[in-house]
Amino acid sequence: MTDGTWQLSNPILGLVVVALTFLLFYVVGYLSNRKAKSAKDLYLGGGNVGAFTNGLAMASTYMSLATFLGITALILNLKVPFIMLWIQLILAIPLITIIYGTSLRRMGAFTPTHFVRERYGVKASIIAALFMILVSIMYALGQMIGIAVTFETLLGIPYLTGLFVGGLIIVGYITVGGMAGATNNAAIQMVIMTLMFIVPLGAIMKAIGTEGWFFPPLLYADMVPAMLQAVPDFFDYQYPTKWYFSVIPALTIGALGLPHLAMRVYTSSSLKSARSAMVWFAFVLGLVFSATYAMGFTGVYATSVEGLNIAEGDADKLTIILNLAYNPEWVTALVIAGAISAGVSTLSGNLLAIGALLSQDIIKTLKPNIHERLNYRLSYIAIFVGGFISILLAIEPPAFLVVSILWAFGLAGVTNAPLIIVGVWWKEANKYGAMAASIVGGAIYIAVSPFVFPSLALTGHAVTDGMGLSGAMLAVPISFILLIVVSYITNRIPALQKNLTRDRDEKLVESIHGWKDVQSYRYNSTIGAFITVAISLAVAIWALLPWGM
Amino acid sequence: MKAYKKEVRFTIWMALAFVVMGNAGLFFSIFPTDAMLFGFPVTYIIPILMGWFGVFFLTIIAGKIGNRIDDEIDAEIEGGVKHD
Repeated sequence: MTDGTWQLSNPILGLVVVALTFLLFYVVGYLSNRKAKSAKDLYLGGGNVGAFTNGLAMASTYMSLATFLGITALILNLKVPFIMLWIQLILAIPLITIIYGTSLRRMGAFTPTHFVRERYGVKASIIAALFMILVSIMYALGQMIGIAVTFETLLGIPYLTGLFVGGLIIVGYITVGGMAGATNNAAIQMVIMTLMFIVPLGAIMKAIGTEGWFFPPLLYADMVPAMLQAVPDFFDYQYPTKWYFSVIPALTIGALGLPHLAMRVYTSSSLKSARSAMVWFAFVLGLVFSATYAMGFTGVYATSVEGLNIAEGDADKLTIILNLAYNPEWVTALVIAGAISAGVSTLSGNLLAIGALLSQDIIKTLKPNIHERLNYRLSYIAIFVGGFISILLAIEPPAFLVVSILWAFGLAGVTNAPLIIVGVWWKEANKYGAMAASIVGGAIYIAVSPFVFPSLALTGHAVTDGMGLSGAMLAVPISFILLIVVSYITNRIPALQKNLTRDRDEKLVESIHGWKDVQSYRYNSTIGAFITVAISLAVAIWALLPWGM
Repeated sequence: MKAYKKEVRFTIWMALAFVVMGNAGLFFSIFPTDAMLFGFPVTYIIPILMGWFGVFFLTIIAGKIGNRIDDEIDAEIEGGVKHD
């Protein structure tokens, strides 16, 4: 089959399903948003969301179109190594919650950069906010590509038309929605996504003849012997240990810096509720992630054993193509609705983060006396403009939609995560260290990415460099080293003392951990800082040695 | 002092436990094996199971201990106030 054949033969069916899905989102958004009167209500849903709803919303924000379409595409190309890379992404919310989420919630922070402003001052927070806007836009870009691909398959229209039609409808919805609507909607979207992904996958497995079709995430072992015969290297790890290690700085630490994820922790009604939400998040996301590995496995099986022909440029459509090939059309229409749900929920998280970053972290920081009503309107404008920029960037997309999303993880890991982690746990961290880490670390990460100076890329393996694995393995540790060393030195230069706010910083660090007094022995470990620098140095040097790929 | 030490130790060990649980692939890239489990290669199914049920199990433990440490910090603050 050729490229053009993978589309619904009855687009009206698809349109009706998508229209009904959007109607549901609009109604829930409208009902939830009637109560939103201030910017705080808009972003944090009044800080009063239950654990189960919030756990589902966290999973939904995270389970983007990358999960629905992107992972399966890269499993088709990279096979098992990509599954190994993806598994650890489930750590995001649990690590955010235990390392700094509850502390920042105790502080009442709107966004991670709100914490950076309180901790390191205005200049550092504006630098962090600008990087975070870039992170959010790159993340949104991946979603936009997925939305365009989905509309392309749904209506049989060209990619560009799909991009503008689908993109504008969704950006419009989010601009009208807000986080209160988004949190309730995200929970509903998670249920839709789970059902629209796993149930059709079961039907595909049944059509192929797998006995475990009734529980697709784990029961497909009977396909393994045929798979090993057709694709003997499917389960091979292929890459050196260093590749698997680089996932930790790039994606595990990267996820700790993603603004739209951390914001989900702040929407919890209490610290206990935030911790319960983390449990629900892990359970639901584990279920859906395992199902995506099964979908990727089934895709490789269908192409290699069953002879299904998927053109190279159609890799991102794998999930939809498998449904078109093995399921009735109405099922594919539901799957498309699920894919759009995935895109909407993550995009709303990204765009609301852009709105919050611009209105709260940049405009309100520079003009603290701005009228609340005007700032509220500026938030809406920022949300729309952020969405529109991601549409424009998606006009010429990279080969796989996941690549830009994972690159954004690395950038967040370099420019934001060290500032928050070290800022929460080490009183000595100061604004000089923070600015050096963010600016130099960010510049190195961007310079060694294949998008700017391809000759500086560390591995020469296009997907590894493109996903930011190699760049982050170098830049994340450098960022930690700069933050700690520069802070340590500048704290000991008498001429700089008047520019530093050591007493205030100490009080802040103590208070976000729940203490009401300041004790010099708490959060002040020089040994801890030294060990962090030593480990970071070793990792950065390892990143510069040959990768053997 | 006690609650502070517990908080720091809990965060470091729990974060490491999560990283290890979610990155079993790294372990098998160093120690490959041809063994099979439930019909899958061990190097495939164990990272998937640890990445789901293992992480889920750790979130339950992390939630319980985190709540207890919060209570201990509150108790230590109240104790401190009484002594003042």
